[in-house]
Amino acid sequence: MIKFLSQLGKYCILLGKVFSIPEKPSLYYKQTMREFVYLGINSIGIITIISFFMGAVITLQTAYNTENPIYPSYLIGLGCRDSIILEFSSTVAALILAGKVGSNIASEIGTMRVTEQIDALEMMGVNSASYLILPKIIATLLFNPVLTLISIIVGILGGWIAGTLSGVITSEDFIYGIQYAFIPYYITYSMIKTVFFAFIITSVSSFQGYFVDGGSLEVGRASTKAVVFSSVLILLFNVILTQLLLS
Amino acid sequence: MISVKNLDKSFNDNMVLNDISVTFKAGKTNLIIGRSGSGKTVLLKTIVGLHEADRGEIWFENVLFNNLDFKEKKDIRKEMGMLFQGSALFDSLTVEQNVRFPIDMFTDKSSEEKIERVNFCLNRVDIINANNLFPSELSGGMKKRVAIARAISLNPKYLFCDEPNSGLDPLTAILIDELIKELTEEYSMTTIINTHDMNSVMEIGEMIVFINEGRIAWEGSKHEILDSDCEALNDFVFANSLAKQLKNSSK
Repeated sequence: MIKFLSQLGKYCILLGKVFSIPEKPSLYYKQTMREFVYLGINSIGIITIISFFMGAVITLQTAYNTENPIYPSYLIGLGCRDSIILEFSSTVAALILAGKVGSNIASEIGTMRVTEQIDALEMMGVNSASYLILPKIIATLLFNPVLTLISIIVGILGGWIAGTLSGVITSEDFIYGIQYAFIPYYITYSMIKTVFFAFIITSVSSFQGYFVDGGSLEVGRASTKAVVFSSVLILLFNVILTQLLLS
Repeated sequence: MISVKNLDKSFNDNMVLNDISVTFKAGKTNLIIGRSGSGKTVLLKTIVGLHEADRGEIWFENVLFNNLDFKEKKDIRKEMGMLFQGSALFDSLTVEQNVRFPIDMFTDKSSEEKIERVNFCLNRVDIINANNLFPSELSGGMKKRVAIARAISLNPKYLFCDEPNSGLDPLTAILIDELIKELTEEYSMTTIINTHDMNSVMEIGEMIVFINEGRIAWEGSKHEILDSDCEALNDFVFANSLAKQLKNSSK
């Protein structure tokens, strides 16, 4: 318990340093643009591939598990749409990003720590926590909602292609289903969750990397911890946010 | 002038620095020597503020450095350059961007002036046509040179070097030593170098501090070091049997 509180305290102090006023905003801007590419644009590929196949599987699973004449077939499209918007594109995609982006951040910052690059920044009088972490947080907070939108579109597209090619649903029924009883607030709910999860992934992974002590072995451990802790917190906050936003 | 008074530093229960008091001479090349694990790097990092001292005072001229807050320390840090043991170049930046980093961060010079300064610093350390290379594309000696160029890019008053020639062949090591000495004289910097390389001691040491088990065991010049009565220092300086024989025959 004491260790947990001590870690929580360290995390809060680190965030205090991260959100202090930047020394040279123009350099932070450049760094943020770089992070947009590394953490955001470079994640489009994996999100697209996974979303496409998840959409396809959700459609097929829904179809095979609701083979009943009572259920109209357009409900397959509706089920696909709501599963993707409510859970897959925000939560599952965030878990995937925790693996890709989280480990990337922890290992990058951890390596900078063990190779004294962070010491070099501190020596120059640069607030290393802010310079290294703030651009990553800004980039993911702004870009992860875009990834979620891409995931929603591609996931539904995957569902439509799989459903129509396999013949479990007609194109007309699927399109009717994804338009049926659409609640726009679900998109807002998904975006709010995405922003929270983006903050968790970036800040927790940065924290793990920033306080690495040792060598390459510890960098690897920090990277693993970053993924594990981010994933657990995402799942925990998923429950809390769902209760708060949908109750 | 940099002065340290009654400095203690420990990690958990391990006392690494024990009541260190020393004054480093202004405008000179000051060396901290000692065996691996004797506390040299901890002393250097505590002086520059990367480690917090448990007790004691660190003075830069008339300013008590370890009592300052982050912002006040920043003003003095702008006058410091540091060469780290592993060079600590930023992997994601090119050679030019590495040297330009402190200039970008702390000056409002125009882009042309910045590039001019970067090229001047790189030329000064004999790095030519490497502006667009990344650190991973450089040899160990080149990395050290680029790190020196970055350290002097803001014309520092103080230069700190942690094992500047570790991992380098003897010839390159001497070239790096000579470069540091030349720069110290050229810019009238106060330079403090951590080393356990006796070539460096004999080549560039103007004032030498020997640390043994976290305490200062000896202070003097490179001329005095050979005639010292300090047993721990003699064990360190005359570590090999040939050197011991020469020392005994000179008595």
